[in-house]
Amino acid sequence: MRHVLFAVYAVICLGAMTWPGYAWFGNSIEPYVLGVPFSLAWVVGWVVLTFLALVLYHVAGELSESDGREED
Amino acid sequence: MPSPIVVLGVSGVYLVVCLVLGMMPSRRVSGTAAGYVAGDRSLGLLVMYFITGATIFSAFAFLGGPGWAYSKGAAAFYILAYGTLGFVPFYFLGPRAARVGRTFGFVTQAEMVSGRFGKRSIAGVMAVISIVAFVPYLALQIKGAGYVLFAVSDGWIPIAVGGGIVYTVVAIYVLRSGVLGVGWTNTFQGIFMMLLAWGLGLYLPYRLYGSVGEMFARIAEVRPEMLLAPGLDAAGNPWNWGEYSTAVLVSIIGFSVWPHLFMKAFTARDERIIRRTVVLYPTFQIFLVPLFLIGFAGVLFEPAPAAPDQILPHMLMNMEIPAILVGLFCAGALAASMSSGDAMVHAAASIGVRDGIVEAIGIKIDEARQRTYIRYLVVVVLIAAYLTAVAYKGSLVQLLLTSYGAIVQFMPAILATLYWRRATGVAVLWGMIGGAAVTAVFFVFQDLRPFPLHAGVYGLLVNGILLVAITLATRSDSPQRDRDFIEIAGTP
Repeated sequence: MRHVLFAVYAVICLGAMTWPGYAWFGNSIEPYVLGVPFSLAWVVGWVVLTFLALVLYHVAGELSESDGREED
Repeated sequence: MPSPIVVLGVSGVYLVVCLVLGMMPSRRVSGTAAGYVAGDRSLGLLVMYFITGATIFSAFAFLGGPGWAYSKGAAAFYILAYGTLGFVPFYFLGPRAARVGRTFGFVTQAEMVSGRFGKRSIAGVMAVISIVAFVPYLALQIKGAGYVLFAVSDGWIPIAVGGGIVYTVVAIYVLRSGVLGVGWTNTFQGIFMMLLAWGLGLYLPYRLYGSVGEMFARIAEVRPEMLLAPGLDAAGNPWNWGEYSTAVLVSIIGFSVWPHLFMKAFTARDERIIRRTVVLYPTFQIFLVPLFLIGFAGVLFEPAPAAPDQILPHMLMNMEIPAILVGLFCAGALAASMSSGDAMVHAAASIGVRDGIVEAIGIKIDEARQRTYIRYLVVVVLIAAYLTAVAYKGSLVQLLLTSYGAIVQFMPAILATLYWRRATGVAVLWGMIGGAAVTAVFFVFQDLRPFPLHAGVYGLLVNGILLVAITLATRSDSPQRDRDFIEIAGTP
């Protein structure tokens, strides 16, 4: 389950940082976020989200490993 | 303007410190090739983290990042985008590679692939592609070092001479101590670079515009096109989404299979360290943000630098900034160049000898002799990269994108090696050759591309199709070996 969720996240993230997600939703100067144009803040936001997603995925894996249910 | 003498003095002291730190660990590694190449498989999380971070946090980030933000605006954000997901495949590939590495004694990526398929010619082809990819990447680092010394010496040290001096230092410490030396200097330089990037990234907009917000507001007024993706191309016209998106895609796919990064799977102490390094990696990306701020700070800066990639040192030398600070910057940028350059030249030479000479051609030489040959090749690769750096006139980022077109061709082979039991050696071999050839053709003749996408995408497509088609048409010479290999890769 965590594998599927993470894969879905990765695809969405890739689409959001390139065409079409970036072009449609992230590509404007305003609103400024902490003084930075939205186009930059958008990508930075995905960096932070990806870090969180990786932490979640990793911790979930370690937990299921200690339960002895982990296959790989 | 800060005094060039003080600036160069501070940088000089810094280089000496690096040299000393880089030489220290050489006593602790065993005298075997596995010791020199893989550091006896003993790297812990802290060193792994910084070795990976600093390896990528290179002259490319420190000069190329600001250079692109300055000249191409939002196009530079591609660097941030690819680094975000770029290391993620390694979370899966790394532990698998570590397992087969431990069992079969692999220390390079190509040894692993040719070992899986029992096909030595694969190692030879991978050695050639690796070195082809490393030369422009190294050239980028050398040119970056040259730019820094050129700008801070007020043009007194020509780019070719500066790059030459810095890379002589790199050659000395790589020749002395191999990978652990590389590890410790990177830890030291990694921390230093992070502090410096944030310091300058916040200080320059503050000094020149009052605040980061003010700076962007001014740019939005005068040159709004700089702040919208996909930014501008080399000629200053709007770049297209196809090239932007495929630059991100090719870089993400290629990132984990860079031989010097992939080899870390064989140097890590255990699998958890590999996974944690990947999880922590996006934190390094945050340190790219101040580098973009620096580049944007230069957009409205007068006078303009001789080349966009010199924007950062150029601004520093044309502002009232204490010489000691500029010296520290200069040292940091050199550190960025050196810490990436050393890992690359070390990897390129190890690969050339172990994969090219020992594995592919099958010349039997003992471990001590291998170390000697690796040292010779270090010098040869550095000279090739140096000549490329002197001859090349374009931007640093373009050099990197060129390298990625070649390196990305490894990904199908690595996936087949670690995951696909049915895959055959001849399919992997011809997939790689076909992919590399197509990429090379479309790279040289850009106009032949059916759509304006990164040349590596076409190569990757051909590579994947050949790999699957030939696999289905051929049979493995040892199904038992394939089964065992995949079994070991999948068993923690």
